[in-house]
Amino acid sequence: MEAAAWQRDPAARGRATALLLGLAVLWPLLQMAEFRPAAIFAAQNLHAVGGFLAGFLPPATGPEFLGYLLRATLETLAIATAGVALAFVIAVPLALLTTRALAAAEIGPGPGLCRARWLQHALRALLTVLRGIPELVWALLFVRVFGLGPAAGVLALALTYGGMLAKVYAEILESGDTRPARAILEAGGGRLPALLYGLLPGAAQELTSYTAYRWECALRASVVMGFVGAGGLGQLMDQAMKMLNGGEAATILLTFLLLVLAADALSGFLRQRLGAAGTRGGVAGIGATGYALGLLGAAAAAASFAWLDLGLGALLTRESARLIGDFVAAFLAPDLSLPWLARVGYGLIETLAISAVGTLLAVAGGLALALPASGRYGAPAGRLTRFGLNALRSVPELVWATVTVLAVGLGPFAGALALALHTAGVLGRLFAEALQNAPPTPRDALLDAGARPAAAFLYGTLPEVAPQFVAYTLYRWEMNIRMAAILGFVGAGGLGQLLYYALSLFHYAQASTVIAAMLLLSVVVDAASAALRRRL
Amino acid sequence: MSFRIDNASLTHANGFAALAGISFAAAAGEQVAVIGPSGAGKTTLLRLLGAALRPSAGGVELLGADPWALPAGELRRLRARIGVVHQAPPLPQRQRVVTAVLAGRLGSWPLWKSLASLLYPQDIAGAHEALARLDLGERVFDRCDRISGGQLQRVGLARVLYQRPQLVLADEPVSALDPTLARQTVRALTADAAARGATLVASLHAVDLALAEFPRIVGVRDGRIAFDLPTAAVSEGLLCALYAGECADAAALPTLANEPRFAAHAVEAGVARRGACA
Repeated sequence: MEAAAWQRDPAARGRATALLLGLAVLWPLLQMAEFRPAAIFAAQNLHAVGGFLAGFLPPATGPEFLGYLLRATLETLAIATAGVALAFVIAVPLALLTTRALAAAEIGPGPGLCRARWLQHALRALLTVLRGIPELVWALLFVRVFGLGPAAGVLALALTYGGMLAKVYAEILESGDTRPARAILEAGGGRLPALLYGLLPGAAQELTSYTAYRWECALRASVVMGFVGAGGLGQLMDQAMKMLNGGEAATILLTFLLLVLAADALSGFLRQRLGAAGTRGGVAGIGATGYALGLLGAAAAAASFAWLDLGLGALLTRESARLIGDFVAAFLAPDLSLPWLARVGYGLIETLAISAVGTLLAVAGGLALALPASGRYGAPAGRLTRFGLNALRSVPELVWATVTVLAVGLGPFAGALALALHTAGVLGRLFAEALQNAPPTPRDALLDAGARPAAAFLYGTLPEVAPQFVAYTLYRWEMNIRMAAILGFVGAGGLGQLLYYALSLFHYAQASTVIAAMLLLSVVVDAASAALRRRL
Repeated sequence: MSFRIDNASLTHANGFAALAGISFAAAAGEQVAVIGPSGAGKTTLLRLLGAALRPSAGGVELLGADPWALPAGELRRLRARIGVVHQAPPLPQRQRVVTAVLAGRLGSWPLWKSLASLLYPQDIAGAHEALARLDLGERVFDRCDRISGGQLQRVGLARVLYQRPQLVLADEPVSALDPTLARQTVRALTADAAARGATLVASLHAVDLALAEFPRIVGVRDGRIAFDLPTAAVSEGLLCALYAGECADAAALPTLANEPRFAAHAVEAGVARRGACA
């Protein structure tokens, strides 16, 4: 008789191999990111950070400054709203065309399958390009076409966020129960009815939740883009920092924290209302409240466009068309000389290392904070941690980097720390939401059988949320790779440093190579995370 | 005495009275089937016995202790001695069967062992043995979302077999199984309880199964105990009164199945069939 197959865990060998492989990859990454936590606690560095933060007190409250602040705040809100509105307009048709949940030609397979697949591949490639180039880089480029002002920011947001929204919308539609939609398609229904009757009832809440979340991200992004001259709070912050006016910087940061908290409350309210509306039914699971909220969002977007007065019509003049043409042409001939390629190659790996180390630190921090934030240790602890998470993520990575550069010196570790601080806030919040939404019965059953809370969590809750955690982490890692590239702008290593030099010296050929490298990185990560997700 | 409920009532937060003045006790090693129409309070009764619900009035004594007078640590240890088979198995989709079964002993394992078992299953032989008793031995390393609903229900049962509790509470433990398998599975449950001297309380949808496999039957209706008798004393009249609404429109009493091949057995077990109440 064969030595009973059940005596050994068949997965053990694979797990051990994965663990060893992970360590083998992590070690050089830690080396490249110059991971040395001791630097944070070096007396000299603590002193520098202390001095910088001491300058923040007291925050500026002059009436003239507050007037500027109010105007800049409104501008930031309008840029984010208009940018996300444009992104939404770009994303919806792209998501419908690329999602596998609505692939009518796959049924059978039917006629036109080949053409449909080619179209999907082409559109997915377009999405990759859109979101593979960071909004800050788009903004830098658009500022050269439109001049300083909010138009560059709105368009940059529209392109990058359009790509992101389309991808995530498509994934959300695929991740739910796709059978109702398939049944409608199989019964001869079109894509739109299949979406409205088959997919939206299950996905509307998550789609709204994600869009609201993206709008919050756009708020932060519009501040960062202000640093390159795209208007709003960021531009004000840039001026305050350049004039070493810590008090004004502190007031701006506080305003920003309030803004993000308000956006958080709004998105929570939206989700709650939509959830309640969903139970009451109505077409596509969106009740009257849902329609009202949609109208409200559209009105906000229209008001933003009107207030910003972007003058997008200028895009259509012959002069600007020539300008754009020349600009694009300069980028079509990248510098492929060997020494430059070698530098870009090293920058690429360094960027990867910064992002990986930053994300891993953030996962550890996010997990530790998500447990209290989900309300496991009582409501007061939950509120307190959620406030901490909001504070962490409301400060953009680039701003964190200005602090971490002081804390641990110039170099990649400062970048990794900046990413970790911001991403811990983001992941902590997402993890906490996943924990709150996890089905409680497996955990409760274990508690009823006398398991300790920790064991009940590991056996009953973690298996339910682990795929979500991994998906969030991979997606944030992808975003962090792009962000790690940008952090070089303030001296935190990676591709960003190269791009910053090349652009400030008007070496568009070299800049083009760096942007191509960023895209390549994004595509590789995309493919890797997709492959990983399929295996989970 | 394994457990005793004294005049216990349970009113849910929405004002619905799920149990009204129930008294129910069993000696160690007894095997009791609870039957009754849907919504009668069978599940609530079992949750009361599992120390998962606290009665709004009246007393509960489980395995010699009043669970709601115990400090948290003691209550946890008491719950570790009670095993609950849930109607919908509360198993994470992506967990492997071996982990789901081993989770039965989380209440008695030290924390380090629970942690270590996530890295490498600490008692593969034990999990396999419990699964093998339910004909699932070869599924030990499959994932819970890769097996059928009936198999999943038996994995939930295997977890309780592995737990080896002194009081086994089974809430519709075979609702997802075909008649033959349902009978085998209930026999595995009763045999396990008998071999260990554990007390078994099972709520069952199929009246013939309850009558054939259990020596004592408790009928529950509208949150009250309608009758509590040895199986031999349960008459057709009592059953018809218990399921009155369902007999009136000439439907049969709920049984494992209405196919003819089960009819013979149903007669044997003294179950009224279609039209008997008309």
